[in-house]
Amino acid sequence: MPSSTSNSKPSLARPFDDEIVRRPVPTRPWKGLALTALAATIVLTFGWELYWRAHDHIPGDFKNTPALWAQERRKVEGDATVLIGSSRIFFDTDLDVWEEAIGVRPIQLALEGTSPEPFLANLAADEGFRGTVIVGVAVPLLFTGYVYRDDVLKYVGTESPSQRIDNVLSMQLEKVFAFLDEQTRPKRMWFLTALPLRKGMEQRVDVRKLEVLKADRNTEIWSRLMEDEAYRDLAKYVWAEFLRRQAPPPGPNGEPPPPMPDEAINAVILNMKASINKIRARGGDVAFVRMPYEGVYTAAEDQGFPRERFWDRLVAETDSASVTWHDYRELQGYYLPEWSHLAPREAERYTRALVPILYEQIEKKEAERGANE
Amino acid sequence: MGESRRVLFNSLTFVVFFAIVVALHSAPLPWRVKKFNLLIASYLFYAAWNPPFVILLWISTAVDWQVARWIHRSTDAGRRRFFLILSMATNLGILGYFKYGEFLLQNFSTLMESIGITYQAPEWNIILPIGISFYTFQTMAYSLDVYLKRSEPTKSLLDFSLFVTFFPQLVAGPIVRPTQLIPQFAEPKTATAPQFYWGLGLITIGLFEKIVLADSLLAPAADAVFGANGSLAALDAWTGVLAFSGQIFFDFSGYSTIAIGTALCLGFALPNNFLYPYAAIGFSDFWRRWHISLSTWLRDYLYIPIGGNKKGSARTYVNLMITMLLGGLWHGASWTFVVWGGLHGLYLGAERLLRENVPAQEWFKSLWFKIAMGLVTYFLVNITWVFFRSQSFDQAKTMLGSMFGLAPEPQKVIYLNEIIPTVIVIGAMVTTHWLLRLRSMEDVIAVTPKWLIGVIWAIMLFSLVITQGSDSAFIYFQF
Repeated sequence: MPSSTSNSKPSLARPFDDEIVRRPVPTRPWKGLALTALAATIVLTFGWELYWRAHDHIPGDFKNTPALWAQERRKVEGDATVLIGSSRIFFDTDLDVWEEAIGVRPIQLALEGTSPEPFLANLAADEGFRGTVIVGVAVPLLFTGYVYRDDVLKYVGTESPSQRIDNVLSMQLEKVFAFLDEQTRPKRMWFLTALPLRKGMEQRVDVRKLEVLKADRNTEIWSRLMEDEAYRDLAKYVWAEFLRRQAPPPGPNGEPPPPMPDEAINAVILNMKASINKIRARGGDVAFVRMPYEGVYTAAEDQGFPRERFWDRLVAETDSASVTWHDYRELQGYYLPEWSHLAPREAERYTRALVPILYEQIEKKEAERGANE
Repeated sequence: MGESRRVLFNSLTFVVFFAIVVALHSAPLPWRVKKFNLLIASYLFYAAWNPPFVILLWISTAVDWQVARWIHRSTDAGRRRFFLILSMATNLGILGYFKYGEFLLQNFSTLMESIGITYQAPEWNIILPIGISFYTFQTMAYSLDVYLKRSEPTKSLLDFSLFVTFFPQLVAGPIVRPTQLIPQFAEPKTATAPQFYWGLGLITIGLFEKIVLADSLLAPAADAVFGANGSLAALDAWTGVLAFSGQIFFDFSGYSTIAIGTALCLGFALPNNFLYPYAAIGFSDFWRRWHISLSTWLRDYLYIPIGGNKKGSARTYVNLMITMLLGGLWHGASWTFVVWGGLHGLYLGAERLLRENVPAQEWFKSLWFKIAMGLVTYFLVNITWVFFRSQSFDQAKTMLGSMFGLAPEPQKVIYLNEIIPTVIVIGAMVTTHWLLRLRSMEDVIAVTPKWLIGVIWAIMLFSLVITQGSDSAFIYFQF
C-alpha cells in the first residue's frame, strides 16, 4: 500500500516504510475498570475531604493565586479605593467593616511578604485610575524592596484566556472542597516534613497556612492560630527564625551591622513620590498606614528601622496623610496571636477604629495641600 | 524554566473543553460537520493561549496548501524548487522571527564587537508562540513530501487544515507526518468503547507522569540545583541532573501520552513518541526511543536529503553532526542547546566509529555487557542534560565541575526531602525502562491482572486529585 496524503491515488514514490499508525487496544474489560477506578477515586477523595475538614480547613477558603489577584486588579478603575501593601494590611483589614463605615468597599490588592512599591507604580501607570490608594507599610519590606510575590505583576501582563477561565472553574471547586489549599498538597507537606539534616545544613523554615481568603480577597487569619497553641508557637518560631536568618551579619569584631545608607532610603522615597505625584495629577490620592506588631518584631522594626529615618521621612517627603498605630490609643492593645497579625474579631474592631481616623487624616492633608497651592 | 502562558492538558479548562469536543464528536452529525467542529475546537485551543497567534496557523496552512499544489502541478524542476523555497522561507521565516530573532541579533552584536564595531541591538520583546517549532515542522513535511514525490497533495483543504491544527498534538507533538494523519480524516472516525476507555487511561497515565512524577517529585530537586548560584556538592549536582533527566522525560512523555490518549478518545491514532529511552544501549538506539517523531523528521527531511550515509564515511560524520547541531538549535535559541545537539552528534559519531572498527564479540550479547552499555549511555545522556538545562555555559561548567568533585567551596542546597524522591523515582524509572525495553505498554497491560489495573488507575486518579493540578506548563511548550 503506497504512502499517500491523498485517498484517491497511490503515491508516485515511496522510499519509506508504511507510515500508517495503528494503536492496538489491549483486550480488557475497560468499562468496568474505568468505573471501578472512578468509584474508588470518589470514595478516597471523600475521605481526604473529611480528613482536612477535621483539621480546620473549610470550603470557600480561596487560594491566594495570581489569577485571583488579577481578578481584583481588573476591578480597579475610576475613583476606586485600593489597598496595597503586605500581609498586615491584607489580613488585618476587614472589607465588610470598611464598607459599612464609609460606604465604599476597597479593593484588596495587598500581598504577603511584598513591598508595595512596584504595585503603587503599577497603579500610577494606569491612566484609568484616579482613586485613593491606601498603602500598608511594613517598613522593613518597603525599604529593603523585598518582593515575595513577584509572580503577580508578571502574571497580569500575560494572563491567557484559558488561565482566566481556569480561575473561574477552580473557584467553583474551592467553594465546595476544603482540601483544595496550597498547604494540603502532598508536595507542600513533604517539603515541610522535618527529616534528618545533612551535615552543615540548617532546618528548613517556611511559613505555614496563616490566612483564609474570601472570593474578593477579603482575608482574615486562620482560626487554628487562635485555637491551637502548638501551631501558634510554630508560627512565632518561623517569624523569629526568619528575622534571625535575614538579619545583616555583625562586623568582624561583633559590632552591630552598619545602618542602611541614606542613598538607599532616598531612592525608595523618590520612587514612591514619583508614583504618588502621577496619581495625584489625575485627581487621586495616596495615604499610608502602619498596622500593629509586637514580640520579636518590636525590636527588629523599631531598632532596625527607626521611625525618624524611615516612616517619618516617607510621609513628610511625599506630603501624604498617614496613620500609625503608635500614635493612637484606639489602635493599640489588640490581640496578635503570632505577633504580626490581628485575630479576626480584632481585625474587625481595628478596622472600625482605623477608618474614621484615616479619612480624617486624608481630609486634613487635602485641605493643607489645597491651602498651600 | 519560566511559567508559560497556559493552554494546558493539565487544566480544568481543558477538562471542560474536551468534554464538549467529545460530546460534539459523538453526536449524530455528518462527518464533514464533525471535522469542522474539530477544526474550530483546535483553533480555540490555540487561541485560549493567545488569540492573535492563530493567524500564524492560518499563514502556515494557506502557504503550504497552495505551494504543495503548485509543486505537484509543475514539471519544471526550477519552478518546483522555487515553490519549495517559498514554503521553507515562510515557515522558517516565521520560526526565525519569533524564535531566533533575539538570538541572531545578540550574536550579530557580539560579532561586531569582536571586530571593534559597537552595535547596540534593539530591544526584542517578542512573545514566542507556543508549539511553533512543532507545527512549522509538521507543515513543512507536507510540502517536502510532495516535492520529493513521496506523496501527493490532499484534495481537501479542510483535511489539510485539520492536519496542521489538530489540537491533541498541536503544541508539543508528536510531530505527525501527513501520511500518518491526513488519510485518517477521510473516513468517519469515532472511538469504539475500548478505544475511548483506553484513551482515558492513557490521559490518566500522561497526567500522572506530568503532575505527580515530573512536577511534584522531581522538579523540586532539579529547580533547586539549577537555580542555585555557585559550586555545589557532588551529591547535590548529581541529584539535580538525574532529577532533570526524569523531569524532562516525564514532562514530555506525559504530554505525548495525553496527546495520544486524547486523539484515541476521538477515534484517531497518533504514533508513539517515546519507547523507554533510558534503556537505550548506545545513541542510535537512544534516538530511536527519545522524541521519535523529531528524530525521524530530522532523519527523513535533513540527514537523508543532505546525503545521509551515501556519500562516504567522512561525509556521513559531517552529516550526522549537522543534523544533531540543528536538532539542538530546534530546541531553543541558545548556544547551550547547540552544544547539547553537538554532544549527541559526537556520541553518534563515536558509536559509528566503534561499530565500524571493533569486531563484534560474542560477549557483546551478554546481559551484563548490555546493562553496562545502557548505564554508560544514560551517564552520557545526563552530561548532555547539563547543557540543556543550564542557563549559560558558565553554569554548565560549574555544574560539571560540581558533579565530578572539582568545584571549589561546594555548597549543599537540597535536603533529604528532595534527594529521597529523586533516588526512588529515578531508580524506578530506569529499572522500568529496562524491564519493558522490548515490550509495548499495551502488551504489558494485556497481561496485567484486572484488579491491579483498577488499583493503579484509582491511585493515579486520586494522586491527581490531591496534587491539585500542576505548577507549571509543559517544558516542551517553549520549543
